[in-house]
Amino acid sequence: MSARGGVWQRSFAVSRKTWLLVGSGCIVLLLLIWAGSGTAWGRASYPVLLQALITGLLLGGVYSLVSMGLTLIFGVLDIINFAHGALMALAMYAAYLLVTFAAFNPYLSLLITVPLLFLLGFVLQRFVINRIMGQPAENQLLLTFGLALLVENALLLIFTGTPKALPAPFAQSSLHLLGAVVDIPRLIAFAGSLLLAGVLYFLLSRTTIGTAVRAVAENAQGAAMVGIDVRTIYALAFGLGTACVGAAGALVAPFLSLDPTVGEQFTIIAFVVVVLGGMGNVAGAFLGGLIIGLLQEIGGAFFPNINKLLIVFLVFVLLLLLRPQGLLGRKA
Amino acid sequence: MASPPFATQRHARTKQPGALLRRSGAAIFLLVVILVTAACGGTSGSSNGSGSSSTPRVIKIGSIHPLTGALAGDGKQMDEAVRMAIDDINAAGGIKSLGGAKLAIDSVDTQGDPNVAQSEAQRLVNDGVAAMVGTYQSDATAEVAKIAERARIPLVIDVTAADDIMQQGYQFSFRIQPNATAMGTYGARYLKAISDAAGSPVKTVAYIHEESDFGTSVFKAFQAEAAKEGIQVVKEIKYNAFNVSDLTLELTQLKAANPDVIAATGYYKDSLLVAQNAASVMPNVKAMYGVANGAFDLPQFPKDAGKAGSFYFSSNYHWNALSSDANKIRSEFQAQYNDEMRTPAVFSYVAVQVIANALERARSTDAQALRNAIAQTSLNTSIFPFSGPIEFDSHGENKNAQPILMQVQNGSVMQVYPDQYAQARPIFPATPWSGGTK
Amino acid sequence: MNAVKGIAARLGRDLLVFVVVIALLALAPLFLTRFELGIAVQMLLFALLAVAWNVMGGYAGQFSFGHAAYFGIGAYISAYLVIHGGVSPWVGMLPGAALAALLGLLIGYLSFHYGLKGVFFALVTFAFAEMLHLLTTNLSPLNGSTGLNIPLISGSSWVMIQFPLGSANYYYVILLLLAFSLLVVMLLMRSRPGYFINALREDEEAAAALGIDPLRYKLLASAISAALTALGGAFYAQYLLYINPDLAFGATVSIQILLPAILGGVRTIWGPVVGAFIITLLGQATVALVHTPPPFLSALAGRSGLDVMLYGLVLILIIVLVPQGIFGAIRARARP
Repeated sequence: MSARGGVWQRSFAVSRKTWLLVGSGCIVLLLLIWAGSGTAWGRASYPVLLQALITGLLLGGVYSLVSMGLTLIFGVLDIINFAHGALMALAMYAAYLLVTFAAFNPYLSLLITVPLLFLLGFVLQRFVINRIMGQPAENQLLLTFGLALLVENALLLIFTGTPKALPAPFAQSSLHLLGAVVDIPRLIAFAGSLLLAGVLYFLLSRTTIGTAVRAVAENAQGAAMVGIDVRTIYALAFGLGTACVGAAGALVAPFLSLDPTVGEQFTIIAFVVVVLGGMGNVAGAFLGGLIIGLLQEIGGAFFPNINKLLIVFLVFVLLLLLRPQGLLGRKA
Repeated sequence: MASPPFATQRHARTKQPGALLRRSGAAIFLLVVILVTAACGGTSGSSNGSGSSSTPRVIKIGSIHPLTGALAGDGKQMDEAVRMAIDDINAAGGIKSLGGAKLAIDSVDTQGDPNVAQSEAQRLVNDGVAAMVGTYQSDATAEVAKIAERARIPLVIDVTAADDIMQQGYQFSFRIQPNATAMGTYGARYLKAISDAAGSPVKTVAYIHEESDFGTSVFKAFQAEAAKEGIQVVKEIKYNAFNVSDLTLELTQLKAANPDVIAATGYYKDSLLVAQNAASVMPNVKAMYGVANGAFDLPQFPKDAGKAGSFYFSSNYHWNALSSDANKIRSEFQAQYNDEMRTPAVFSYVAVQVIANALERARSTDAQALRNAIAQTSLNTSIFPFSGPIEFDSHGENKNAQPILMQVQNGSVMQVYPDQYAQARPIFPATPWSGGTK
Repeated sequence: MNAVKGIAARLGRDLLVFVVVIALLALAPLFLTRFELGIAVQMLLFALLAVAWNVMGGYAGQFSFGHAAYFGIGAYISAYLVIHGGVSPWVGMLPGAALAALLGLLIGYLSFHYGLKGVFFALVTFAFAEMLHLLTTNLSPLNGSTGLNIPLISGSSWVMIQFPLGSANYYYVILLLLAFSLLVVMLLMRSRPGYFINALREDEEAAAALGIDPLRYKLLASAISAALTALGGAFYAQYLLYINPDLAFGATVSIQILLPAILGGVRTIWGPVVGAFIITLLGQATVALVHTPPPFLSALAGRSGLDVMLYGLVLILIIVLVPQGIFGAIRARARP
């Protein structure tokens, strides 16, 4: 697999060079905005562009949230989890139930959705997905696809297809920043995304379990030889990935309408983000999510009549062709 | 490389003992095919034909809607409405001109898929239905309309907005609801009317709509009519309803165009998003105006949007809240199905009434006679706030279909225009963030 | 005559099975009601598409997740030519197949050149299909998201592939196309290029070292797979008399194309056909189950989602229990 680098690279590493590039990119961008405000066009477009930047970042935060779990699953188990979006929808509905019937604060529902999804993922991997480990990719893809169908339609059965929304107050507050709008719930989701990235980093690099996970991702046989229970680690890693999506679901429920297929749009974008960030690279997924969000919104600002997704897919294809290891992966 | 590798491989293959068994594997497969098809043949649906000229005791009406899948919410209501209409007609004596013949429902599921819609419509035809009612979804309806044409069985479309279905020259399809063009046209007219009446005329509109055929045709009709009324569309923004999760940027772009009014066409989820994001962006407009909008006039909208939905206008198809017939039917539905009857289901109910009315006049279930009778329909009904009785033009469109203008006031959806159907006066200009004054 | 003898010799028993199966399938309309015939037509269409996919995804080992691209191209080009040029879809299939083959070649070439394999290849094919989807939604000459309606003609026309409702002729047309595709695939895989394709899938480096040009044979597989898929697309447009971007290029279409091949068994001639058969039966069975459920499930009668849930469950079970596909498993058991 050309995209697999060393474990350290895969789990976290973002080289100093990359941070430098990203940082200088931001500075250049800010300079452009400041300079642009000197021109008439700049002044006229400024609110739109600034909003594009902010919305792009916030949307990117949501994408990052969803993608970090997916990339972890891929990094350790080599599985493209087609059911990722469906599991996110499940988490959203769980949050909805807690808010509507148990008067939970939606952010408190994190306390339930994260462990719940972790457990679900763990059990799923241990008893179902484990049986097809090592089989050709198409079988794994189809298994997770069947799973997605199962979960989405279970939700449809229980909740019906009528869109649901969390009670109004949660969606309504916003900040006004230099003429642009920042929705508080989305900001919280963004912060959650950052926090999650940090937590994953800590988990993967500073704990024993994390080291075991990284070891299994690097070389399962070698890990087994040194006494690591690979089967449990697989289940754990998958559970961790689904726990991430459990967090994502609870964090976005305040501002997204729920219906059983709400996760589908995110599955597709998560694929793109995972490739962009380098498969298995969690920090890459975080940054990649932000980049895709920015691309989508800024592209939408400059080319309002072209479908925003088209731009994303074009970039995706170019990426796959020119740099399949993503921005942050290393070529094997 | 002594000899080409493939030669040895092939040689080895024909010598394999498994080859014989492989053939029997295929034979087993064939056997299964035959057995199953024979079994299926045994359970095929019966088709007691609705005869051509004899007087049948039971007349079947096909109900084809999405009963499963994402659209099932409305689809099921529509199916239930057909049932209820049939029960009501039977209770009132059935089709009197045919000796009190009773109606019966033949209910099938499109699953929200035009492929399935096609085969299910075929099933209805085979079952010998006299007419069909459906389907709610544009591409499924397109398929069923074709089947109706080829099988020469009348189809009464309860809900589907797409214009082009009725422009194919079909003789056997009829539509009760106002089509996309009518929605857009009246939307523009109503806007002009109420803004002029309020002494705050509208000159510019910024329009956001979902990008599929539905949103696009409504928009184009709106734009054309608005131009005639002296209103200019200064910005058009499209989005994909299925993968949109944030419309803040789009609303900022609309705001930047500085329009008098922002108009929106879309489905429920995305339109709710428009309302929520607009409450954050707070564009400096006189009103937020839905055209054929899938959210703004639904009872659920004020609850989901809260304050952010106040004063939202919606020019859309809707049952007439001032009609005692409509209210009677809706409470009957509520009692029977424990569900608040939404507009699509009301259309399904009326569709059955149209068919029954035509059967009375045709005095026959012969497909051509029924079709002609439907074409000559002139059915007065107060259930919908139309501009006249239900009458079909040469394309099968209801000449007098019109949407009405509604507005969210104090957490409820009120009819505000035209005056003969108004429950309350339009509050204009007003937006949720201007607190009702501007 | 010699050519026929040559073909017969090469295909050997395969040809015998082929003739028997096609003959039996040809008899089916005699036993099926009009409704079942419609189901059978869709089943044969899926079989055709799965057989076509199998060439690229199974035999050549290039898991394509965007075959809807070829399907949609075939459908749109044929429909467009019928509507605007009155061109017979038999003829209209050809430019569709050619253009699809070109796209297949392009994707194949790009992937090879940039070394895309496995999941990356799958994602590229998916991205191309999605881009076509988005493009056609916005192209007005193709009527955008409204789609294209093929005008109805009265009576029966083999030339325009339009028959009265429920006519068995639709069945025969798709059976013909399926038979053609099966023949093409059998001839291909039992020929020299076919062996090379297999060899390249098994071990590309070794095959290349033996002098087999990987690019050439992968491209061959791509082109044939794409062209055959486009034929299916053209038929589909004629059968539905309607096509729009979702029906042509939707992601579900890509999945529906490859599912029968995998369930039935990739890398077998008959696996995709068996898979299509099973999936169709499964779909019909779950629908029937939900609409007229046995007593212990009556509480769930008519509730949305149950049928697809069952479908997903069975999918999972099949993948877990019979990973080499149903036909693949039968065949493997047949071998000592």
